[in-house]
Amino acid sequence: MASGLLVIGYAVIGAATDPDLDVPGALAFLLGVLVAHDAVFLPMVLAVGALVGRYVPAGDRATVRAAALVSAAVTLVALPLVLGLGRNPGNPSALPLPYGRGLAVLLGLIWVTALAAIVVRRIRKRFASTRRARDG
Amino acid sequence: MVREPGAGLTRRTLVRPLPAPPATLRRGPWRPGTFRSRLRSPRLTSQLGVALALAFGVCFVTGLLSHLIQHPPGWFGWPSRPVGLYRITQGVHVATGLATVPLLGAKLWSVYPRLFSWPPARTIVHALERTGVALLVAAALFQLVSGVLNIARWYAPMPFFFTAGHYRVAWLVVGALLVHIGVKLPVVRLALARRPRLPRPGVSRRSLLGAVAAAAGLITVATAGQTIAPLARLSLLAPRRPGTGPQRLPVNKTAAGAGISVGAGYRLTVTGPGRRLALDLAALNALPQYTADLSITCVEGWSSTGTWTGIRLRDLAGLVGADPDRAVAEVESLQAGGRYRTSTVAPVHVRDPLTLIALRLHGEVLHPDHGYPARLIAPNRPGVLQTKWLSMITIRDAP
Repeated sequence: MASGLLVIGYAVIGAATDPDLDVPGALAFLLGVLVAHDAVFLPMVLAVGALVGRYVPAGDRATVRAAALVSAAVTLVALPLVLGLGRNPGNPSALPLPYGRGLAVLLGLIWVTALAAIVVRRIRKRFASTRRARDG
Repeated sequence: MVREPGAGLTRRTLVRPLPAPPATLRRGPWRPGTFRSRLRSPRLTSQLGVALALAFGVCFVTGLLSHLIQHPPGWFGWPSRPVGLYRITQGVHVATGLATVPLLGAKLWSVYPRLFSWPPARTIVHALERTGVALLVAAALFQLVSGVLNIARWYAPMPFFFTAGHYRVAWLVVGALLVHIGVKLPVVRLALARRPRLPRPGVSRRSLLGAVAAAAGLITVATAGQTIAPLARLSLLAPRRPGTGPQRLPVNKTAAGAGISVGAGYRLTVTGPGRRLALDLAALNALPQYTADLSITCVEGWSSTGTWTGIRLRDLAGLVGADPDRAVAEVESLQAGGRYRTSTVAPVHVRDPLTLIALRLHGEVLHPDHGYPARLIAPNRPGVLQTKWLSMITIRDAP
């Protein structure tokens, strides 16, 4: 713990004396990402989770939640690329791909997989219950 | 032993219960029973926490290495072999950071109810610990968000110079993480030692961990093609394609962007302890030419291999009267300004026969965006140090 405090001290002193670092800008960003995550992003995640809890049949919830988690993570990574605001028309070799289409393909893949998992489980369940009815 | 009366008093003050805020303020998410997921558990949080600590550890070590290579202190030396070492460490840095996105998300979800614990601060120690956690969370988010923005080359949302901010906050993450581990280690030990209860119906801890792993894997496959060429076709979200660009190689800074114009009077000035040469293109082409397959490895995590042809830097060192085996070279670009206008080539790199002043790429005269008329290309070196549009090389014998 003491070593951690020392490292934090080193970070703070290093940041304060770094001529390349705009300290107020970095602090604003530090606070900004914390607030954006805790007050905006996570409440949205919880809201989606609650909707899944209300509208998705209990047996399918785990699959739907897992697919939603993967979708959210992939979308977050892809978003700055999809928006493409870092593109420079003078340098087409940077960000050369159609990222909107790429993201759509990945999301499609995620949800087709989820749907397949749900269908497979339902079929299995039906087989199991008919077998039980027959044997029982 | 005589106890100082003051010390005991301070300690007691630190752990004395603080007055709780009035209960009428306990509204919204602070109400009991707001967070009902039974999936949250110390065991889940501990498992995610251990994985996250490892991921941040990998990013810190590889990132610090990249920083040291670019700003070497006196005690630090970076070899020229293995040729592709930096390509691996920096590829791992960016890939690990990207794969950490779902991991950090799940970890923060698992502890989110604690943000609304009541009373908000039980004791002064508790308040300090919560401040430390806030610092850790903010710093961890800072690293991932700024890293993702950087590889997408979107700098507008960051009101600071990315490289400096990402480096300084990395130390903040490590410090806050060490404190956090110090505080939580007993809880983690207990949570991981206890046998897990049987999985409940609906959602299980394993299915959540599986989803996190699947997300990390998908993100990796979707981006790693920017440095692992065979994956390029699968990497729909790769910020670069290794074969896409002028002369089949990506570019970070274009000649137009750097304000370069090369006139007919171009000379590469090479200065050494013995003499000074002003070489025009014909003179450069008349020197012995060598070919090497070397990669441009960007700090942003992409890399691409090219076949470069040009003059060995060690030959130039010999020509101007320096000892090729222990010379250090300072290379300068035609660029008027910019952080990467000059770079220093350490003796291990000058000595290496693969280090070239390249005039050609894939057999063609260098494209302006690749540094025409001449650029430095050396093994195991970050792309920003492979100076383009060379105007001057100063070589001296290393002490």
